[in-house]
Formats: sequence, structure tokens, C-alpha cells
Amino acid sequence: MRTGTTGPSGDRPTESIALALNGETVRAEVEPRLKLSDFLREECDLRGVRVGCEHGVCGACTVLLDGRVVKSCLVYAVQADGREVETVEGLADDGHLHPVQAAFHEAHALQCGFCTSGFVMSAVELLRENDDPSREEVKTALADNICRCTGYHNIYDAVEQAADALSTGETRADGGVLDCSAPGGCDCAGPAVDGPPAGYPTGAGSASGGSTAGGDAAADPGDPARGDRSTPGDDAEGR
Amino acid sequence: MSGTEAASDADADATVEPERESYVGRSVRRVEDYDILTGRAEYVHDITPPDCLHMALVRSVHAHARIESVDTERAEAHPDCAFVLTAEDVRAEYNPMPSGLVGFEEWSLAGDVARFAGEPIAAVFATDRYAAEDVADLVAVDYEPLEPVVDAMDAREDGTVIHPDVGTNVPDAERFEFGDPDGAFADADRVVEGEYSWGRISGVPLETAGVVAEYDPDEDAFDIDCNIQLHTLVDDTVYETLGYPPEKVRLNVPADVGGSFGTKIAIHRYCCLAAMASQQLGGRPVKFVEDRLENLQGGDMHSTERDYRVRLAVDDDGRFRGLDVWFVDDFGAYPRYPVNQVLKPLSVLTNAYAIDDVVYEYELAITNKTCQTAYRGFGVPAHLYALETIVDEAARELGIDPTELRRRNLIPPDELPYRLPSNNLYDSGDFPAALDRIVEIVDREERVPGGLLDPEVVARRREEGYRRAVSPSIHIEPGVSGSDWTDRQRSDRDELPDRSRDDVAELPEHLRGRIREDGSVEAFLATDTSGQGHRTLVAQLLADELGVHPDDVSVSYLDSVEAPTEYGTAASRMAVMLSGAAKGLGEQLTGNLRQLAAAAWDADVDEVRYRDGAVVHDGTGDELTLAELAAEDADRTAAGEEPLTAASYDYQHPATGIEAFDDALRQKYPVYPTAAFAANAPIVEVDEATGEVEILSLYTLRDCGTRLNPMIVDGQAMGGLAQGVGAALYEEFGYADDGQPQAVTLFDYLLPSVTNMPDVELYHQETPSPFTATGAKGTGEGGMIDGPASIASSINAALADLDVVTDTIPATAHRVRRWIREAEAGAAEVDGDGPGATDGDETTGD
Repeated sequence: MRTGTTGPSGDRPTESIALALNGETVRAEVEPRLKLSDFLREECDLRGVRVGCEHGVCGACTVLLDGRVVKSCLVYAVQADGREVETVEGLADDGHLHPVQAAFHEAHALQCGFCTSGFVMSAVELLRENDDPSREEVKTALADNICRCTGYHNIYDAVEQAADALSTGETRADGGVLDCSAPGGCDCAGPAVDGPPAGYPTGAGSASGGSTAGGDAAADPGDPARGDRSTPGDDAEGR
Repeated sequence: MSGTEAASDADADATVEPERESYVGRSVRRVEDYDILTGRAEYVHDITPPDCLHMALVRSVHAHARIESVDTERAEAHPDCAFVLTAEDVRAEYNPMPSGLVGFEEWSLAGDVARFAGEPIAAVFATDRYAAEDVADLVAVDYEPLEPVVDAMDAREDGTVIHPDVGTNVPDAERFEFGDPDGAFADADRVVEGEYSWGRISGVPLETAGVVAEYDPDEDAFDIDCNIQLHTLVDDTVYETLGYPPEKVRLNVPADVGGSFGTKIAIHRYCCLAAMASQQLGGRPVKFVEDRLENLQGGDMHSTERDYRVRLAVDDDGRFRGLDVWFVDDFGAYPRYPVNQVLKPLSVLTNAYAIDDVVYEYELAITNKTCQTAYRGFGVPAHLYALETIVDEAARELGIDPTELRRRNLIPPDELPYRLPSNNLYDSGDFPAALDRIVEIVDREERVPGGLLDPEVVARRREEGYRRAVSPSIHIEPGVSGSDWTDRQRSDRDELPDRSRDDVAELPEHLRGRIREDGSVEAFLATDTSGQGHRTLVAQLLADELGVHPDDVSVSYLDSVEAPTEYGTAASRMAVMLSGAAKGLGEQLTGNLRQLAAAAWDADVDEVRYRDGAVVHDGTGDELTLAELAAEDADRTAAGEEPLTAASYDYQHPATGIEAFDDALRQKYPVYPTAAFAANAPIVEVDEATGEVEILSLYTLRDCGTRLNPMIVDGQAMGGLAQGVGAALYEEFGYADDGQPQAVTLFDYLLPSVTNMPDVELYHQETPSPFTATGAKGTGEGGMIDGPASIASSINAALADLDVVTDTIPATAHRVRRWIREAEAGAAEVDGDGPGATDGDETTGD
């Protein structure tokens, strides 16, 4: 699908498209049959758009098209001409995670991560429209995304936690990103300039700086299952 | 093992050490998350080298057919076609792929005969996947259809033998007899019999198989990026096929793999074909991403499909006297390495019950279906389902409450560690107490006014046509498989009784680590991960061992050449194996660092102590930090000495140090030294009209010993339970009579989703294992192992007065509806009227 890399076969016509992608204008020549998912991944190098089924069921490829969730495997790139596309890569700001992303981390709402981009975008759309969704509303918004690893409950929790973070008003003026040191946000130590925030455990041997991100000394929720369901004597050794 | 509070002493006395907080036992958030959440994580699908070609496969449209001709002329003429690979090409230069059983020859591309719908016949290569599929469409295959064998029971008849060279469709079978089953069955008051079917399902991870292969003509070696599971164990499925020694075929698995659940253990075909093409093309990289339709239809990744005949010998007072389990397992067209999926149930042979006299017999059948691979639970989910279903039937025949019947037969706590008839041991656990506890929890939470099991609510729902019930049950999850037993079916079984303990060759867990220049720690795993959070776990473990912060520990992966052969991530092994390996590595490294510091100070090793990321001289109080020690070591290694800041450790499998496991080890019986367990009580409601089963709430009390990271453990349990729900109610790879697969999209194969994932009330307790260093037990397969059996039991409770039992999994709506109608029709015939009046009770409880 790369322009210029296919041989001059003559029967692979292309069309010009121009779209706003995560806030920037992108122009390209694409085959009409090129899926938006493949365009974003291969042409725009946005690998966060994952492809799990190519037939519109799993939702891993979910992006926002003019602010609405779509399955990008069911949209052709040419259909995005003149429109606005948002992917997960556009959410984080200066290394700070978007509250939804931060909440997913906090709530252990991802394991293999392949579905995560899709869930995050679905959650972002929901929370833009509804800053205090009920559990039912959360489930309805996420019903088009499939996860094979988590069993979903931590994902519901994450979205509700993100809603709390956003609606406590602790957002920046542009309505974008939560101050990471605020309660209910992520648990890293503070703002960073490049890459992941200081103290954000990345496994890349970042300087320890006394942060609590990995250690979560303060934030250990104890029973990460239903907190009010554990009876006295849970977690104790033996029975 | 849970974290302790740091108790720092304000008046710091050099000899009093403040207790350090432990990271192990705490819900440390994952290091893997940031990259995944921001879209930076690189899965193998994301790797596209410049000038890469893309592969597409031409797959058999028939379940069984002679391949008369394969015409690639039009395909080769397509301007975007770079290359075509045929079965002839493969046969001319390469080898068949290794098989799970002796005597089978399976080629990467089917040559003379196609043996399952979806079997690859030819491979084409183009500059992008779209073009490659255009080209693949131009390959013309002429088939002569043959009679397909689509049912394991038919296959056993050997009417049509699928592999004439093998001579039978049942290439492997074994009967195990423990104790005196004949005597037990003869002596018991009665024998209850049942026939049950476990449907063909699989892991279906969200990420399909993928590979990028590159041949290096100068080195005459292969570099293969792929998402294969157990790459340091099953690399032989690639290098033997290519005809190269292991050191010439490097399998790299990215740190991020989008789920596997066992299914990616057998994706070697794709690696082989891509590597072959790259070699034929002089080294151009070749990429293949399996698409979802391929994955569901012919992706070499279906799992256990069984027909069971179970007999339970039982006395009228409810005591189980004997168990006889026979089953045939439909392995599809070729047996792969996970053939031992039929054997693992021996490790939990009688579940949580004490039964000494047991027969366990299996037949492994070949059919014209997609080949079997491993799937979470590895044959145990089906076994527990069959066993618990016969228990429910026995309860009905005896007129004993099913929960009470179970309770009477549970292994008493004072018999742990308990030796099964099959020689595996259950390490620890009070099963009766756990069963009582889940009963008590459900009573307290739901058998109350307004609760789900409020008798008035249940009665009202019954009048409305909904049958609500719960059946508590308890299930063992065997953990930490040994490796030596896994090739039992490729061994000479007649010689096993004479095998000595010294012949047992268990693969240890390898862990490598080093101190970097900046004093941070770098560790290397010798296996792969697909979402379990191993990097976080190892960071926690080494943080504790080395007295540093988890942020200071980075964890990456060794490829198949760098790493020794080892078992790795499967069979609920890694919590135990990694914690043992980390402990050993920590000791190794701290010992080395003390040596290093002592040398630097010209002191005696006994005079220096390792503490919290530094070595301290007891006498002088001098200290060398990790960074300083790294600098010291750099000087040494520059001068040609062996580094002391690097070390590796090989952790021996825990069963190897415990004499009680010698019998099982020697005779290649499945060895799983830890027994996690779960007491489940799924509250179900069956719609009589539609047959739909709704799980109103799934109560579960889970125990996997010490939880190294409770958050990760509970996440695994929830995910496993979701798969258990899918298996019990929704998922199935059906086949038509002509062998055509019916579930080829995700519209057909219904994965548990937001709309059908029930509420889960997860309770936990910790009974440490006496056999492992941390008390942790293996737990990765939990939820899937116990979920289906317990859901089926609750359905049995809901349909008890119709005398219907869940004899087929999945209990889809159409099946349940049919069972209800047939039962009601049968009752009408017998009684001359409708089904008997009910008392609106869900029948089980305490």
C-alpha cells in the first residue's frame, strides 16, 4: 500500500485525500480499497491502532472519526477525506497520560494490551459526552469492544475512575490532561518533558528519584477485587 | 510474604537495619502499561522492515481432498507477485515439521492431500498484503474430494484412514489403572454412568499469529521475529524444518504479545514458510500476519474436543468408591506437540475428592479438522466438567443434595499433602472449609430478602418461566508443570516402569541479570510473555532481592539462540519458577558484588555486607553503590577478567527436590507440585422458553497460596473466568458434516463480551504452598479450569426436577431449550400431563 512501492501495474488507481490526524493535516495518495486501519498503521505509522479481526467485531481498531467512534477496519481511508481522525497516540500530552489512560494503568485494565487502544478511544468518546456515566452507561459504551484477557470488570472501574478524575475539575484549562500528581489521576511523581513521566515505571531503568509509581506505597487498594467484598481474615496467611 | 511496613529507626544505629518494605505481595502497577497505553508498544504485527515482502496463503477449500494440481502461472504473471512457494519447493529443500507423535509427516505446505479445510497449499509473496491476496486468488488448485472424517467417534472406526502411512485414525491411546477399580465397581452399591461432550473451542487471542523472517546469506542464518509461545522450547519446530542447527535460527519474540493462552505454541508453520521464502529470495525480509478468518478456520489452533463416558461407583451413603473415565479427543488432522493435553488431567485425576480406585483411559483421534494446540487448562477444564457432571447425576440417583454429596467426599485437610492415585501430589488446602465458606458467603449475600436467591424472588421468577439456581463446587488447579513428563507419548512407555530417578531430565528456569553503568539492574527472561506482567513481577522480585526500587529494574527477553532450552511460560509455572530464579539470581549477584567490593577494599569477604543497593564495609563503614561497583567491574573486565556484576541462575523445578514426587517423575506422570483451588457458586437463571442461561452473579473463592502481585493474580482470575463463561455457554468451532468449519468469523465464534460477562464476586484466601520458596502456587489457568464445570453444575441444579443434565458444552441456548422440551415431552408422555409441579426452589444450598 505504500505509494511508490507497488510496481507499475496500471490497475491500482489511487485518490488524493487530506485529513486532520491527531491535530495535524495529513495528505496522501491511497487506493480506494485501503482500509483506514491499514492507512493509519502503515502510512501514518500509528501502530497504536491495532487490528484484531478486520470484520468489525473486536473493536481493537476503534478510532474517533469526527469525534465519533468507528471501527477503522470498516472504514476506507478515502472516507476520511476532509475529516478529523483521533487515535490513542494523540491523547497523551507532553508525556502525561490522558486521564483515561492513567486510569487504565491504575485499575489494571489491561493485560496483553492488544484491545486497549480501542477501549481507550471508546471511553474517551463516552466521557466527552457524559462526565458521570452510570455503570450501565459505561458498559453500553464499551459493548463494541472485546477483550480476551481481563474479564472487563477492571475496564469498567478504569472508566469510572477516569470520569471521577475529569469531573472533579482537576483538568488543565484546555480540558486536556490531568495534573498527574492530583488524586484520582495517575500515580507518577509529576510532569516530565520527554517520554514517560519521571517515576513512571517503564522497565527502562529510569532514575528512581524516590517516586512511588512502581511501589504504589500509598495507593495499594488492598483487595483489588470488590473491596467491600473481602471479609475479615482475607489476605491473611492460612485460611 | 505480604508487605511489611518499613520501621525506620530515627536514631539510626549502624547495626540496626530498618525493615525494608517488600514489593512482593503488593499490587505494584505494571511497567508494561505506559508503552501499551500510548500506542508505542511494538507487537510483531508492527514490525515492517523496508523492502519487506508480504505473504498470503492459498488454503484448501476441502476438508479432505487429493490435490491434483496447483497452477501458479497466472499468479506468477501478476505484476505485484514477487515469488510463489509450492509444496514441491518445500519438499525439495526442507524437512517436514516435527510432530507430536512418531510416524507422522506434516509438511509446511500440503502436497498430495489436503487434510483439513484451511490447510495451506501454496504461499505467494507481494509488496503488500492487499496485492498478495490478489495474487493468491489467482492460484488455481484442482481437487479430487475425498470422504471427510468429521467426528471422532466415526474416526475410531477407521473407515476412512486419514494417514495411510500411520494406518489408523487413533495413533495414540493409553489406559491407566490405579488401585482396584474392578473390585470397587463390583463392590459398590451402585454405578452411575454418563456420556458427555466437550465442544471444540480455543483461546482466540485478540492478536493473531505473526512473523517477520529474514535470512542472512552471509551468515547462512535466520533471524525470525514472531509471537510464538515457548520460543526457547519449541524452536526445534522451526530449525528442524529448515534443516539448520539451533544456533543458526534465531527466534525473537517481542516483549508485547497480544495474548496467546497456549494457542501460539504451534504457529511454527508460518515461521517456517516466511523463513524459507526469505532464503529463496536471497535474504529479503518476509512478513506474514494471519488474518482472523484464517485464524478461526485453519490457524492450527483449535483445542480439546472430547466425548466422554464416565462411570462413578458410589455407595448409598454417598461415598465415592471408584471412578472410570474414558474419552476420545479429536485432535484434527495432525498431532502437534501439545498431544499431552490428554494426560494433564492425571494431575487432578479425582479433583478434590478422595477416590483411590480409578481408571483413566483416552484415545487420541485424527479427523479432517484444524489441528489441536494448547489452550489454557490444557485438557483439565473438560475433565473437571465431566467429573462434576457425573457427581450431579449421582446426587440425583441417590437423592442426596449435590453440595452435601460433594462435601462427604472431599479430601480432608489433614491428608494434605495428598498423593493422588496417579502419583501427583496436592500440596496444601482445606477443601471442605472452602466449600463451606462459599456456601456461607452466598447464603449471607444472596439468600436474604431482596437477594438473588431470596426464595420469594426465586419462586416468582419460576412462575415467570425462569429457573434460578446455584450449585457450589470446588476445583483444583494444578500448577507448575514439570517438563520431563511432557514427551510421554513419544517415549517407549514399556520402559517407563524401569526408569531410574536419574534418568529424569527436568528443565530449570533460567534468569540472567547484570548491573548497568548507572547502577540500575537489567534482567533477562529466557521465555516469552503474552500479557501476564512478567516484567513487573521480575522487577518486584529483584527489587526485593537486591534492595532497590522496581523502577530501577528493567526486564527484557532473550532470543532462542541466547537462551538455553527451557519450558517457560505455560502450565501456570511462572510465578513459582520466576520467584525461585530471582531468589537464586539475587543471591548470586549479591555474593558477586560482595566479592567485588571486598577486592576493591582489599578486605575479607566476611567483612562486607550487601544491603539495599550497596555493599557496606562493616569495619570502616565505607560504602560502594551499585553504580560504583559497576565502575569497579568495568575496570576489571577491561583487563580481561570475568564480570562480577553479571550473573545467571538456573532454578530447579521444585518437585525435583521433593522425594514424594519421585514416582511421578520417574514414570512420566504429569507432575504439578502446587494445587491452587477455587470454590465457585455461579448463580444462574435459565429461560425455559429460549434456553438462554444468564449468570446473575458468579461467586468465587480463590486460593493460589501467596499472591506475589495480588492485582495481577486477580486480573488473571477474572480473565480466566471470562474464558470459562465463554466456554460454558457461547464458544464453539462447529463443523458441518462435510468438514466445513462453521465458525469462521467472530460473529459465529462468540467471545465473551461486555454484554454477557457476568458480575463476579471474587473472594480470596491464601494457603501457602509448602513446596515453593514464596508459598506461591501456579494460577495462570484458573477460571478457565474451574469455570465451565461449576457453571454446568449450576445449570444442572436449575434443571434438576426435569432430570436434565448439561451433557454438552457449550450449553448454548438452542441445546438447553431442546433439553427442556425433550424432558417436558418425555414427562408428559409418562404422566399424561405437563411436568410435575415445582416448589420453586433452586434445590441446592447448604
